[in-house]
Amino acid sequence: MAKSKGYPEALEKKLHDQRYYREDSTPDFTKRVEDKSRTIAHMCFQCGTCTGSCPSAPRSTYRIRKFMRRAVLGLESEALNDPDLWLCTTCYSCTDRCPRDIAPTDVIMAMRNMAFTHDIIPVNFLKTVTAIYSSGHGVPNNDVNRAARERLGLTRDPPTTHMYPEYMPGIRKILDHYHLKENADRIIKEREG
Amino acid sequence: MSESTANHTFALYLGCIAPNRYPGVESAAIKGCKKLGIDLVPLKGASCCPAPGAFGSIDMNVFYAMAARNLVLAEQMKMDIALVCNGCYKSIWEVNHKLKHNKDLRDGVNEVLKEVDMEYKGTINVYHIAELLYNDKFVGVDKIKDSVVNPLTGARIAVHYGCHLTKPHKDREFEKEVMLNTEHPMWMEELVAALGATPVEYRNKMQCCGAGGGVRGYDIVHSLDITNEKLINLKEAKVDALTDICPFCQLQFDRGQIEIKEKFGVSYDLPVLHFAELLGLAQGMSPQDLGLDLHGISCEPFLQKVL
Ligand code: SF4
Ligand code: SF4
Repeated sequence: MAKSKGYPEALEKKLHDQRYYREDSTPDFTKRVEDKSRTIAHMCFQCGTCTGSCPSAPRSTYRIRKFMRRAVLGLESEALNDPDLWLCTTCYSCTDRCPRDIAPTDVIMAMRNMAFTHDIIPVNFLKTVTAIYSSGHGVPNNDVNRAARERLGLTRDPPTTHMYPEYMPGIRKILDHYHLKENADRIIKEREG
Repeated sequence: MSESTANHTFALYLGCIAPNRYPGVESAAIKGCKKLGIDLVPLKGASCCPAPGAFGSIDMNVFYAMAARNLVLAEQMKMDIALVCNGCYKSIWEVNHKLKHNKDLRDGVNEVLKEVDMEYKGTINVYHIAELLYNDKFVGVDKIKDSVVNPLTGARIAVHYGCHLTKPHKDREFEKEVMLNTEHPMWMEELVAALGATPVEYRNKMQCCGAGGGVRGYDIVHSLDITNEKLINLKEAKVDALTDICPFCQLQFDRGQIEIKEKFGVSYDLPVLHFAELLGLAQGMSPQDLGLDLHGISCEPFLQKVL
């Protein structure tokens, strides 16, 4: 009977350990990244098209290709603790061009989601949440703009949650379902006192 | 000029930055589209899309649920959505597309929406206004040309396409195939030419404005440095104005030039106008009607050329 393809088990294990995992890697990280990002991160062959397309690369140490490698190697803590994780503008140029049809941008978003579960997140992201919790808008209206809108023949407040605050409880309920406001307030308070 | 009776009606999804910082975009979109046979009616009670950079980074599930709520408001009106912002397109179009095609995501979202007596059904479509203007099924370049009473003759105008309308092209489903070209598109230039202006290309025109992904809030200098690179390339092309189809890009280029002056000591004084504002001008709206005085960078030198 033909032998199934592959090395003997002992060698397989050795290669597995040597090539893919170090003592600081989390073996199931790749799978969790793929589940969250819905992209085939493990297909990355490190061509560098992504980094070559990235507007953030020339002006920082941020390298999307490196994050792709970390995804494949299971280097969870190295990925989630790197401040460069937050320098992706989500321009999707890398995703647009990746020859393996991977979405590196979505890998970054998945890693950011995971970082947030460890409270690793810059506060500006959380402030957008609190703004929306209070008014429904990330960039709310102000008096100068209200006067301008009136001059333009528009309603002083746009016909959004601004004009119809009765829609706000529903929005708060959705955000509360995920305990988002509560967590945002807690983290902002920890950072800023 | 043909003031045709409206034959398409859409729920206008406003987002945050257009109505709250550049209201001229809202009024020009409504009035300009009306002249082109499109009625835009308010999408009552809409919220932030939510901001894909901020919400997508924190928790994708909240991102889906919040965008779905806006979609359900339009479903209840039985109307397709039209919107004026690339960022909103990313949230509203993409979440609609994902929820239509993934039962697991849809079920997850509906479980949350049930708490607010809503259900996402997947019954409507989402369009960016630039797409409606370019696609002759709705408007098309010829009809725009016919609506021009004040051609922007002599003005050299560059286009900033932005990222989130067309990228990643592999996931997009535009009827007009040229809109899927993300390396060297020219369809926006056609729209600019329809207004009588001269479209001008420049180095690396498809580069991002630098504002997205929460980077503007996280590291403003890094973010502005990306914008500055684009401004250097635009200056080289000697343009009178830059046009965009995304109020967040507009904010980054317009208010951004003031911040760049403060932080890097360079000034460009390049007027930045949303395509809806340009359309309004060409259709005879006054700069006052468009609230152009609210822009951070004065549009005067450009206006003197075209009025
Ligand atoms: S472009 Fe795609 S395959 Fe190439 S390194 Fe980047 S993610 Fe990997
Ligand atoms: S999406 Fe992010 S990682 Fe990809 S090219 Fe743009 S900034 Fe770089």
